[in-house]
Amino acid sequence: MRLTKFLTLLIVLCFASSTCQRTPHTVHKQLTIAVVSGVEGDALKQAAAAYQAQTGTAMNIAEFPYSNLFEKELIDLKARTGAYDLIMLDDPWFPRFAYEQLMTDLTPLLQKRGQSGPDADFVDASIALCRHPYQTGSLYALPYVGNSQLFFYRKDLFEKYSLKPPATWPDVLTAAKTIHEKETEGANGGRVYGYVMRAAQGNAAVADFMPIFWAFGGEMFDASGKPAVNSPEGIAALEFMLELGKYSPPGYASFNADEVGAHLLQGTAAMSINWPAWISSFSDPSKSKVIGKMEFTTLPKAQKPGQAEIGNWLIAIPRTSRNAAEALEFLVWATTAEQMRASALRGNPPTRKSLFRDKELVAKYPAYPAQLRSLESSRPRPRTPYWNEIENAFGIFLSKANSGALPPAEAMNQANAEIEKILQRAR
Amino acid sequence: MAVLLSLSIYPLIYSVTISLQEETSNGIEWGLGNFARLASDNFFWTAMAHTFVYAAAALTLEFLLGLALALLLNRQMRGRGLFRASLLVPMMLPTVVVGVVWRLMLNPNFGAINGTLKQFGIDTESLTWTASPRLAMLSVIAVDVWQWTPFVFLVLLAGLQAIPQEPYEAALIDGSSRWQTFRHVTLPLLKPAILIVLLLRTMDLLRVFDQIFILTEGGPGFATETISLYIYRTAFRFFDFGYAAAMSFVLLALTNVISVIYIRFLSHR
Repeated sequence: MRLTKFLTLLIVLCFASSTCQRTPHTVHKQLTIAVVSGVEGDALKQAAAAYQAQTGTAMNIAEFPYSNLFEKELIDLKARTGAYDLIMLDDPWFPRFAYEQLMTDLTPLLQKRGQSGPDADFVDASIALCRHPYQTGSLYALPYVGNSQLFFYRKDLFEKYSLKPPATWPDVLTAAKTIHEKETEGANGGRVYGYVMRAAQGNAAVADFMPIFWAFGGEMFDASGKPAVNSPEGIAALEFMLELGKYSPPGYASFNADEVGAHLLQGTAAMSINWPAWISSFSDPSKSKVIGKMEFTTLPKAQKPGQAEIGNWLIAIPRTSRNAAEALEFLVWATTAEQMRASALRGNPPTRKSLFRDKELVAKYPAYPAQLRSLESSRPRPRTPYWNEIENAFGIFLSKANSGALPPAEAMNQANAEIEKILQRAR
Repeated sequence: MAVLLSLSIYPLIYSVTISLQEETSNGIEWGLGNFARLASDNFFWTAMAHTFVYAAAALTLEFLLGLALALLLNRQMRGRGLFRASLLVPMMLPTVVVGVVWRLMLNPNFGAINGTLKQFGIDTESLTWTASPRLAMLSVIAVDVWQWTPFVFLVLLAGLQAIPQEPYEAALIDGSSRWQTFRHVTLPLLKPAILIVLLLRTMDLLRVFDQIFILTEGGPGFATETISLYIYRTAFRFFDFGYAAAMSFVLLALTNVISVIYIRFLSHR
């Protein structure tokens, strides 16, 4: 018995001494940040490295591809492991995170630093995304990458056939038809398609359809919050999309961003809705056959003004973070004009008005004025925590219509019924 | 035992409990709500139908081709070794790689398949493979047949080589025709191998995920969405784990029923 006691004491002492030895005398601050792989995340990774060198705070990076990031973050935040102190999130995910109360309200933290809120230099449309409820509520994130859609077109072909610049969707259709019929001997021996779009189910089809849908006067939900995609305006918009599809490369109903990018870069398609991240590749001789031939402008209008879909990357602090104050220091630092300028030079559109007007940046990125106009007039995807489900269902029927499996009115009716089911379950 | 308990039994019990929970605005409700929802879910039934069409077509083709190849290569012929080895290559490749390679080959504009067809003067404008609602299912089935016929072939060949020579000699003496020999000697003796290969392939086909996810992501529209893809989406995109668990149990039950039918049918006759 005595022996056991003695041994226990010995073991306890051993442990105590070893932990004492391991306890560091100076506590180094440490932050873990979840980033997306690709250009948006790369800029933040480099900023984190610079921050670590400057302040001594150890910055751990957890990098995930876009397709896994949402599930990794949501699982982790819901399981309350506290693994991340900062997370990058695509703005359509924000309502879900906000609805489940997984993020830290930034305003009290900002007030502790002597700030009343985000400064006025941020683009209003971008800051509105960071609030829950949208535009009016508490601030849960800061915008880091200011993407919004642009309209890409081949200005050389527009000049060649004396076409009107694409200000309205009917202009776009006329131009698509003309180019499609006349440019039968295009860059690679094949024709130049008048238009190219992504109509693969899910995010792709919905993103390329929304600007047409909005311009034609369509709305996802009516004033009472009921789904209304099968309104006459909505059906007309889908019919118009199929018209454009006649001048798109065959198989566009399964296209994602890569296929659209390839067609534009190879000079085999003349127009498209696309994201600013692609702009720089058009002046890269190793990728582009259309150097100096592309023009970038805001989205065309129809009955309603043209509006781009906004797609910003936000940075938030999970509620489970044990280093929220330190995380905010990094967040504020990374979104200062100076740091965002560095991020812009690495290829990310900023979310600050002053940077879109910065002379040096505009010289490097001539589309900045158009990007700012597009961003300021952009629209978010509907702010609902069920957006992933709704987008999935809507995208399936848009893709079905584009692949010829369903007529447009039928597709919209079925989409409306599915969206209704999702909302009913949510109630 | 503890490992088994923590890695297998606990998750199983946990998934049963979550399949009985439904998240509503009033909090979590217990009951069979998730299973009741299956009945009115068009996506679920369409995905189920796709899974069975896919599995039945791929299994039939793989079995017939695999059996034909096994019978062909069970004889002495020149270059047999080389032929056998080259047949096994598709099976050695990771499914993800197969998916990516075929996705590139099936690309309607830049892909090798349409490129080759064009060389022969065939109009490929309407051959959009994975983007066409009619051809997409055929395309994903073809890829599975390409990758997994060698496996069927390998197992059946092993089965054929294990059959002793004596029954054949007896059949020869009895004057039976080649078809009769095949029907009454080869097939019955090959039954164990057939049972194994059909069981394994059926289970694999019913839970197919990776190559379809890469080839079409279930598209265009919903044309190639199988049940595993739909379960994945429900769980990890919509975060509705209860409903995903309920669907998984239905799939499990169906797979079990099919396995039992196979075993009954092939071992008791």
